[in-house]
Amino acid sequence: MPNRQISEKLDRILMQVQKPAHYTGGELGSVVKDPKEVDVRFAFCFPDVYEVGMSHLGMKILYSLKNARPDIWCERVFAPEKDMETLMRENDIPLYGLESFDPIREFDMIGFTLQYELSFTSVLNMLDLAGLPVKSAERTGLAPLVVAGGPCACNPEPLCDFIDLFILGEGEEVNLELIDLYKIAKREGWSKEEFLRRACRIEGIYVPSLYEVSYNPDGTVQSVTPRDGAPAKVRKRIIRDFDKVFYPSSFVVPYTDIVHDRAIVEVLRGCIRGCRFCQAGFIYRPLREKNVDTLCRNGRDLCSSTGYDEISLSSLSTSDHSQVESLLTEMVQWTDDKKINLSLPSLRVDNFSPELLETVSKVRKSGLTFAPEAGTQRMRDVINKNVNEDEIFNTCRTAFEGGYTAVKLYFMMGLPTETMEDVEGIVDLAQRIVDFYYSLPSRQKGKSVTVTVSCACFVPKPFTPFQFEPQDTWEMLREKQDHMLAHLRSKKIRLNWHDADTSFLEGVLARGDRRLGEVLYRAWKKGCRLDSWGNHFHMEWWKEAMEECGLDPAFYANRRREYAEVMPWDHLDYAVSKEFLVRENQKAHNNQTTPNCRQQCAGCGANQLVGGRCFD
Amino acid sequence: MTDIVITDVNKMPNLRVFYEKTGRAKYISHLDINRCMQRALRRAEIPVWYTEGFNPHPYTTFALPLSLGFESLCETMDMRITRVMGCQEVADRLNAALPEGLVVKRVALQKNKPEKIRRADYIIRMDFEDCGPEEALTRLESFDRLEAIPVMKRTKKGMKETDIRPDVILSNPCVEEGFLKLNLCCAAGIEKNINPTLYLEAFAQEAGLEIQTVHVLRIAVLMENGQPFE
Repeated sequence: MPNRQISEKLDRILMQVQKPAHYTGGELGSVVKDPKEVDVRFAFCFPDVYEVGMSHLGMKILYSLKNARPDIWCERVFAPEKDMETLMRENDIPLYGLESFDPIREFDMIGFTLQYELSFTSVLNMLDLAGLPVKSAERTGLAPLVVAGGPCACNPEPLCDFIDLFILGEGEEVNLELIDLYKIAKREGWSKEEFLRRACRIEGIYVPSLYEVSYNPDGTVQSVTPRDGAPAKVRKRIIRDFDKVFYPSSFVVPYTDIVHDRAIVEVLRGCIRGCRFCQAGFIYRPLREKNVDTLCRNGRDLCSSTGYDEISLSSLSTSDHSQVESLLTEMVQWTDDKKINLSLPSLRVDNFSPELLETVSKVRKSGLTFAPEAGTQRMRDVINKNVNEDEIFNTCRTAFEGGYTAVKLYFMMGLPTETMEDVEGIVDLAQRIVDFYYSLPSRQKGKSVTVTVSCACFVPKPFTPFQFEPQDTWEMLREKQDHMLAHLRSKKIRLNWHDADTSFLEGVLARGDRRLGEVLYRAWKKGCRLDSWGNHFHMEWWKEAMEECGLDPAFYANRRREYAEVMPWDHLDYAVSKEFLVRENQKAHNNQTTPNCRQQCAGCGANQLVGGRCFD
Repeated sequence: MTDIVITDVNKMPNLRVFYEKTGRAKYISHLDINRCMQRALRRAEIPVWYTEGFNPHPYTTFALPLSLGFESLCETMDMRITRVMGCQEVADRLNAALPEGLVVKRVALQKNKPEKIRRADYIIRMDFEDCGPEEALTRLESFDRLEAIPVMKRTKKGMKETDIRPDVILSNPCVEEGFLKLNLCCAAGIEKNINPTLYLEAFAQEAGLEIQTVHVLRIAVLMENGQPFE
């Protein structure tokens, strides 16, 4: 029975908001327990709106994992849209869990997942909507404990003022260890400080308040000093036996449209490719995969419990699964049988065999998506995207001959060492693909081709070989965008790119330090939230906040860092060594590539996590 | 409910599922109900007939879409099945697969075509800002004596003024648990479809009241002869 007080208030306002079903819960697969029967109530918060958060696999996994334990009740919480936020504030409705409608400020733990930097202000806003002080130091009791994990926890420094502890790496084991410790703390009446001092001894738990940061006169970090027995380096967690890891047999099935509304199986974690711009390719190392049988079982279970008629294979690079052909063959077999659509993101160009393509195109013919990432071979070598032009054209040939007429290409601009020639190369490559289509006698007759070029602005990220690199300034990016436009000749090519402003802010926050906490706070106070949504993004407020704090965004985004500089995240250990990142950075500047992990170990250090060898 | 057992696979029947939509489920829009039911049909493994196009999906139709925010005791979904399955079994399987707030009451062969629908009955409970239910009741009774109730109604050619007086019948207005409670019988169906909200808003405007909450429950869908749509 949902909390009556809140549900009655909701009943009065919900018809005034655009998407009432985002705020009512009750979906199939949502877990309702008796609060009297559980020891720990956990609010899993996604700092973005329902339709985004509900699409996120990590949340589905951790939600089911926690709820599988009878002593824990985990509920979902999303950021309300502006219309709902206004009504909640006007009607004194605190942020509540979608399962019970109980205010989350009464919960034991509030956990945020940090998927992108532009969601940081929404973390603050959600704490405030919950009726809690946003600053960690002002929340003095043990409960609710505010924790955060996810990829952006690899440099959580800008959020250190607000979050009690961070969970580094994969969450399936460490979340439960943390909750077990909390249960003892609750039973024995520990103070928050005592709990944090003990929690920091769990591998993967980073308690920022136990570290003192000092700065050099030039604003760079001088040192980070632990106290009270906190480890000098906090190492991320991984699941060693990935095939055996917990996986949900059911998802919460939403009523309304969400971004990814389908069953998902997680094929593998980590990536062997080592593309130098890609944070995910480094922080999730080493590669671990699930067996074909496990994956098919996961998929069947999910489809029968949810009724989904679509399933997608999730990973950083599905075609790097060691048994990819048998995986696809078996998947196609049972999904065909059950009239389920199979969708296959993250298939790489270079090992796309005709057999594989045939299997895939049996499934469904729509567009094909490739990510060459850069327009010239030199540039692709710099970023270690080990794809050459022959491979791109071979794949296009197979695709076009197989009946595809639309190709979407992903690129980045603003990459380290990039010249205008490299930028032109993007349009040139797209043009040559258009020309190539018309040169094929075997193409589909009477059909026109569309090449969509989607161009992101490169943002240097921690724990990548490009963590030392300056990000292009807004002016440079605009100039490059104009140059591309001027170079464009064909109407068959569609060009779109990311907003340079949001990429700039992302760059500031990604490599930020603790001093940005005050900037976040002020930007939020000025009204910033849901910054990844163009209609809510206000660069001017961010600029004001930076100025008021006496900080220069260019210091964070556009400055080249020395290899010897202490990075704000150097005390966090993601198992890839800084020496390796420096080596890779140097190779990038020499246009040298690095073979993938299966071909030759590059000595990043992640092998220590799995006992010395990543592959049999 | 009498169970229908079909033995001739060539004469697979058109079934009508009668269900309730109450509680939180009232916030599921009509479009989303369609998808929600299709998923429930899959989970329940009901041998429903699939469309044969490029993207096969269970073929379902719904008579008289319910407005977002309304509850109902008399919703229907039509579908065809492709292999023998008793009506009771279809109902039981669906109930096991449906989320909170959606409950199948019975499943039967389709008797009437949706074109036969003429009226729908609603029970409404509402309260107002700065006005008690007794006062609201008095004002409602005098409002209902008006000869004409002109409202702006969306039509294919844009907004148009219509008199809904002949199409709405008020009955049993009273005060209950602090709410103004009333029954409305509104024209419904393909020819003329009057949303009870039109009447309620016209009332609030005429009486100078601001509606605070309004609960609408559809209790019957009727045909020309006053018989329920089945």
